[in-house]
Amino acid sequence: MLKSLNFSELFKNAKTAIDNRVRIITAGLSIIELRALLRGDPPTEKPNPRYKVHVTSFMFHIRPKFYQQASTIFTHTWRLGFFTVFFLALEIVTGLILMIFYTPTPAEAYNSILSLTSNIPFGKLMRDLHRLGAEGMVIFSVLHMLRTFLTGSYKKERSFTWLTGVVLLLVTLGLSFTGYLLPWDQLAYWAVTIGTSMAEAAPLFGNEINLLLRGAPDIGAGGLLRFYLLHIVLLPGIVVWMLSIHYYKVAREHSISLPAKYDREDLPKEITKKAKQRLDLLPDLLTHEVFLTTVGLFITILLTAFFYEAPLENIANPQQTPLDTKAPWYFWWLQGMLKMGDKTLMGIILPTIIFGILFAVPYIDRNPHREAHKRPLAIAIGLLATLTLVVLSYMGLPEYGIETPAAARIIQDLAPEEGLGELRAIPYDQLQPGVYEVNVTDAENMCPDLLWGCPILESVFVEYSDRVNEAAEEGKLPDAEAVLVIEEWQADLTKVTPRIIWSDGESGDRKSYEQHIFLHRDHDRDH
Amino acid sequence: MSRVQLEIFLGSILIAVTGFILLYVGFNEEKRMEEFVRYQAAQKIEVGAQLFEINCRGCHGLRGEGIPGLAPPLNDAHFFQARIAEVGWQGGLEDYIIATVSTGRQVSTRPDLYPGAGSPAMPTWSDEFGGPLRKDQIETLAAFILNWEATATGDVELVQIPSSEPSAEELADPVARGLLLYNQSGCAGCHAIEGISVGAVGPNLTTVGDTAATRIEGYSAEEYLRESIVNPLAYLVEGYDDLMLKNFADTVSDAELDDLVAFLLAQR
Repeated sequence: MLKSLNFSELFKNAKTAIDNRVRIITAGLSIIELRALLRGDPPTEKPNPRYKVHVTSFMFHIRPKFYQQASTIFTHTWRLGFFTVFFLALEIVTGLILMIFYTPTPAEAYNSILSLTSNIPFGKLMRDLHRLGAEGMVIFSVLHMLRTFLTGSYKKERSFTWLTGVVLLLVTLGLSFTGYLLPWDQLAYWAVTIGTSMAEAAPLFGNEINLLLRGAPDIGAGGLLRFYLLHIVLLPGIVVWMLSIHYYKVAREHSISLPAKYDREDLPKEITKKAKQRLDLLPDLLTHEVFLTTVGLFITILLTAFFYEAPLENIANPQQTPLDTKAPWYFWWLQGMLKMGDKTLMGIILPTIIFGILFAVPYIDRNPHREAHKRPLAIAIGLLATLTLVVLSYMGLPEYGIETPAAARIIQDLAPEEGLGELRAIPYDQLQPGVYEVNVTDAENMCPDLLWGCPILESVFVEYSDRVNEAAEEGKLPDAEAVLVIEEWQADLTKVTPRIIWSDGESGDRKSYEQHIFLHRDHDRDH
Repeated sequence: MSRVQLEIFLGSILIAVTGFILLYVGFNEEKRMEEFVRYQAAQKIEVGAQLFEINCRGCHGLRGEGIPGLAPPLNDAHFFQARIAEVGWQGGLEDYIIATVSTGRQVSTRPDLYPGAGSPAMPTWSDEFGGPLRKDQIETLAAFILNWEATATGDVELVQIPSSEPSAEELADPVARGLLLYNQSGCAGCHAIEGISVGAVGPNLTTVGDTAATRIEGYSAEEYLRESIVNPLAYLVEGYDDLMLKNFADTVSDAELDDLVAFLLAQR
């Protein structure tokens, strides 16, 4: 009976069977071929099985067969487009996980975020990753656009790719903005209130657009649900649609542009030949992408684990407008523009024109040359526009162009209504009860009862004194008297009262401004 | 080593390192979450303290010490140890505070000691019942009030310094001293003065400096105001009940009474 068993035959059959399964899963690659791929060896079969997958696999048919060597030079693309997509993928994965724990109602939304950070393992990491990824996606898509502009890669056949790219930039901004409201904290609520109030300024249909967005005259349950659905359904849908067009054009139709210098006709043949050498998807491009992904994951996870924390302010309060309301940084330029003119012109008409021009860039710029020195005007305009964007963003900061009364400004900077501020960063034990008077109390050795003193309280007090004295010298706070009162209010709760009293310039009356800030011992984190 | 091999090599190291970071984060999650639980509780108390100062101090006192003849203390041992038994409350103290703040109180449970600010004795605060506060805000108030337990039962002794409000002696202006008294003595719980207080039980005092002069013939504004504080029943304003403290003048010195009158005269 044993004789009838032919082991070598059996092994051979099993091997063939396994190999066949592997070929089905890998869309045509054998085990030996897989091994060769990973080792960087040449193809083991003919015809090259590494091209077969582009026909037999859906995931690979949308990928490029190869890119030309010079078009993948790092300093040409900087991998900006790749990392934009990397962040998009990160957003989708973390977003889906966050959806499990999030309830889009005003009563529950904020609690969802609280319990995410205090009750769900890795919940805070997911939220931080999602927030960081959102900012990364905005940064990288803008840089990607800038790169494409500077290398002149939007010209001729790539015009439409540029256009879909601008749509993607708009939708990315929309995704960030709609996501901004979801935690339902003060920061979000007021930034979005201001943002949507711009829609109100739109000519003809302003009020209707505003109502459609907010679901009511003010942002409430309806508005939150609308923003949520925009954020998780409509806008991601548009991104997938537009990205499919954008990417397919790059990967399958026009490929990545070659650096402009290879366009020159008088180049030696060897150089052109080398530049146009093929880099196949398997294994070169794919390995590189996987490698970049590990770099991206490493950096984002490192940042979120140790350095980056998504902000969360107090719960949204429609009755209380914070002194400084600030849009997300990528909208500061818009806020800066709004300070220069009326809402309809600066908030609606001009941005529409700006994006209109962005869309039309390839159709306006008919200069066929791509090299920078042959299109000085375009490069100059591009750099000027970037500079304008930076300046406008600076003008959008609350510090610029808004006059807050001196006393309120000083105390608000010391202890902002929302956010940390210097006062809240003082370790609890250093908040020694006492009445500390500016120009009277010696800022050294303010806490004789403490073994190590209270250096941070002292430095904050010095800063406070300096600001008051400065304002007094400038004539903004004549005859200023300022105190910092620290009282124990309850067990583990301290009340801090900065108070400034000054003479009003016109009437000579004594005016006073103060804030009451309560600080609990457990407020200290990571100190 | 080819570029592909180098990338595979470096990529594998990066994956391992990233994995270790995640592992590190994972090991610390329990501790971090506990820290955030404490942190969020602390924030609740801080927010509650702010709300108390804006909404409750007019009747319950700056530090919840209560105002005799108006509203009871919330920071004493009786409140923490005996109060819920006294009223026969079934649940815990936190529920009791949230329920009382939310619905207010139609009638005082201790009318002799703390008759409250009229009818209702305590207004409703929850927006569910027409009040101004949301549920989460009332929860923060409860967290803040409960935090008085340690000092109420004597477990913790607070360092006392002169009040954070400028003391009456410090203020040279009698009107400013009067404002201080107005806020500290419970007047603000029942009376409204635009920009200063919002009480709705007694007459609005925003322009009392003017109206007081025309109220009773033969009385100057100052005489009328002094009379009304010392003997509230003398000239009851039409439409208002007799709710004001009868013995208020006994609790303040003559100088303080002068200041209060000066402050009221300045309201015009």
